[in-house]
Amino acid sequence: MKPVVSTASPLARGGRGIPDRYRLFLYALPFLVLVFLFSYLPLYGWIYALYNYRPGYSLSDTPFVGLHWFRSIFSNPTQTQEVMRVMRNTLAMSSLGILTSVLPVAFAVLLTEIRTLWFKKTVQILTTLPNFISWVLVYSIAFMMFNVDNGLINKLMIDLGFQDRGVNYLATDSHTWLAMILWSTWKGLGWGAIMYIAAITSIDQELYDAAKVDGAGRFRVMWNITVPGIMPTFFVLLLLSIANFINNGMEQYFVFQNAINKDHIEVLDLYVYNTGMLGANFSFATAVSMLKSLVSIALLFFANRLSKWVRGESII
Amino acid sequence: MNKMKKTGLASTAVLLALSLAACSSGGDKNASSSPSASGSSQNPSASASSAPNKDAYKIDVFSMLSNFSGEQQGWFAKVVKDKFNLDLNIISSNLEGGGDVKFSAMMSAGSLGELVVFGDDGQKYLDAIKTGMLLDWTQDGLLDKYGQNILKYAPKAIEKNKANFGGGSKVYGIGFDVGEDKAGPSEAKDLTYHPNLRFDLYQKAGSPVIKTMEDYLPVLKKMQELEPKSDSGRPTYAFSMWQDWDGNMMMNTKAWAGLNGFDEGDGFNPGGFTLISADKDEMQGVLDEDGFYMRGLKLYYDANQMGLVDPDSLTQKFDDVTNKMKDGQILFTWFPWLNTYNTPERLAEGKGFALVPFQEERTFSYGFNPYGGNRVWAIGAKAKHPERIMEFLDWLYSPEGTTVANYGPEGLAWKLEGGKQVLTDFGKEALPSNTTPVPAEYGGGTWRDGSNQINNSTFKITSINPETGEPYDYNLWSSTLAQAPNKLEENWRAAMGGATTAKEYLEKNNLLAVEKQIFTGTAPTVMPDDLTQKQGQVAQVIKQYSWKMVFAKNDAEFEKLKKEMIAKAKGLGYDDVLAFNKEQNEKVFAYRKQ
Repeated sequence: MKPVVSTASPLARGGRGIPDRYRLFLYALPFLVLVFLFSYLPLYGWIYALYNYRPGYSLSDTPFVGLHWFRSIFSNPTQTQEVMRVMRNTLAMSSLGILTSVLPVAFAVLLTEIRTLWFKKTVQILTTLPNFISWVLVYSIAFMMFNVDNGLINKLMIDLGFQDRGVNYLATDSHTWLAMILWSTWKGLGWGAIMYIAAITSIDQELYDAAKVDGAGRFRVMWNITVPGIMPTFFVLLLLSIANFINNGMEQYFVFQNAINKDHIEVLDLYVYNTGMLGANFSFATAVSMLKSLVSIALLFFANRLSKWVRGESII
Repeated sequence: MNKMKKTGLASTAVLLALSLAACSSGGDKNASSSPSASGSSQNPSASASSAPNKDAYKIDVFSMLSNFSGEQQGWFAKVVKDKFNLDLNIISSNLEGGGDVKFSAMMSAGSLGELVVFGDDGQKYLDAIKTGMLLDWTQDGLLDKYGQNILKYAPKAIEKNKANFGGGSKVYGIGFDVGEDKAGPSEAKDLTYHPNLRFDLYQKAGSPVIKTMEDYLPVLKKMQELEPKSDSGRPTYAFSMWQDWDGNMMMNTKAWAGLNGFDEGDGFNPGGFTLISADKDEMQGVLDEDGFYMRGLKLYYDANQMGLVDPDSLTQKFDDVTNKMKDGQILFTWFPWLNTYNTPERLAEGKGFALVPFQEERTFSYGFNPYGGNRVWAIGAKAKHPERIMEFLDWLYSPEGTTVANYGPEGLAWKLEGGKQVLTDFGKEALPSNTTPVPAEYGGGTWRDGSNQINNSTFKITSINPETGEPYDYNLWSSTLAQAPNKLEENWRAAMGGATTAKEYLEKNNLLAVEKQIFTGTAPTVMPDDLTQKQGQVAQVIKQYSWKMVFAKNDAEFEKLKKEMIAKAKGLGYDDVLAFNKEQNEKVFAYRKQ
């Protein structure tokens, strides 16, 4: 790397250049600024957890309460149970998410095996498109399909004689986690497969030819050449998603939540929103959301260990 | 494109209307502005000034009561545009996040918009005053210059706000429903709550006697069997409910407390977890096993088992319910004002909703209140032209403004005959809130969509309009009362032993609980922060479990959920909040005796 940079240095153009180390730093500076703005500056907001904040008042006008809100998470058994319930939902749905992360791999492998070009393209476009639909619109689609009065499913079921009256499918608490995973899989499958499709095209064609000469069938080729070829990509993405374990978002759960399924759909981010914005309790919500950072740091060290153990080198 | 067209239309309409306004409402307007002009020597032209002198001014109206979000449309928009050159952009906290989400966001951003409507005068109103979000009306003599109608017609409401919230000198807002100084129920024909059934079906079902509130269920089941499908072929339900008005508890369940003479507010303190009797020194905790709230939940659970509850209730909004009502999908309502089913055509056929009381009923009734109620109008501190907003608000507190804001400009829904108001044919068709098309010259659209969407009143509309000598409420105009009753009314009156209105029947049969209005001279006690936190969390639990209990699969699940709800609520501090609420309510009982 070094020699490339030094040949590009403008020293040749009159010596008013900046030394390499500063030059590199300057290149990186805009990104450092962004990281500071979006990753470190918001940490200032943690200070709200130490006050009795009420919107409209400036922080100096509100009473300082120290660690009161942190203590209140654990001092009250019902409150602790609530937080545990929320953590359980978060971890369960994240784990399911990681388990289903093999689906895009399988999908990509199968998709590349399709020989008819137009069919392949059509399938790829149709599966990628849902990624660009916002969750609010996904919910409207769900509502149109499942609502009681005009819903497609209810009409169908009644007409076919499986039900004698409308059922509110969106307001049930059975298999909430599974339903949520299905929705997010539907939305993300095609998009998730793009990376793997790219990885597959970069596999050396000679490997395939050699395998065929050796008499390998189609599935044999898939299993012994394609799959090992994309495994490194899969592992990198898997590690990244473990680091993001607790960040399973809130939009999806926010639009799908209702009184009936709330027990199982409330993930950490949603709980923070519900207690902070709806319960008008910003300081307590801030304290709870800080839990998230603790768990994230723990997970990061765990992933780092894992990487050291599996690949022999650590990330940090 | 639509908008372009509208502006084009609007500008021609403004020109047209200016010429119209000059002749049609001229006499009327002078009448209303002359007393105020004589009162304020320094600015006689304040209320007479008209739109063309002013630039168009779009104001944010932040209403915590509105069920409409966006720019005011139709006839009311046109009236306000022509008279004040104001465009009302309505921000509704019910629709934008629900709860206090929008309020918190706007408070953090440092502005509550230009015109603010508070749902109650509790914590939020006090916070807004303390943080300087609201304008002091006495500043620069604003109220004296531009608020002559308010000072003339609602002096006690201003006095109350000065004493309770303004430290004796400042005025930050004014309460709604300002009425006359007299005893008795303040309602017109109907009350805010009373049980209404599809009366035609009730009679078809043999008019069974209803003793307790639970006795409605078998009757409603029979009615559902008599009419299983609505006009458009959808299934009918007794109860179709909505979540978006839920505050500390499930609103539709609280309604049963209202039918038994109990309400969440005591007329002074903001609501909490107590239900307070209107006229006795009694209160209940929301979670009391034998209280009306729990009884209401059981009633809905039983109703759901019988197939009487709309399964959409959990996921729909208030607007969806009014549409279902219009279509005839609903057989019961707690609220007479929800009767969008009662169109003139149906009434003439004898179909429609009317009061069917239960014998134990004690309907909550609000007395007249010269001090104004607890829903507050205020002006944002950052408003660019506070005087123009004051002028607009002042107009709403004038006889002319109250009439127009409720029933439109003269000539559309009503006209004057011998100094008294008379409904026009259009008015008979459109009132109270039907989707009758409005002529383009009055703003187009439909009557219902064009109605005032801020959803807060100024005067109690049953009080007397000094210009006509009759109440503002069109139901009480002598011309309306003289009208021949429609077929439904005929049937109902015959069945109810000669009572002409629901109010009359309830009053005669002693089924009312009238709340005495009080003047305290102080603001309500503010709840300590840790209790506010507890209240927020407990309310979430109560709401969530209430809905789950209604839709529980069997008795065992219902009981299990009930136990869970109580345990969780108590674990999160329900008892502490309740104790605080009770302490505050006791104070009101003492005030009521004074």
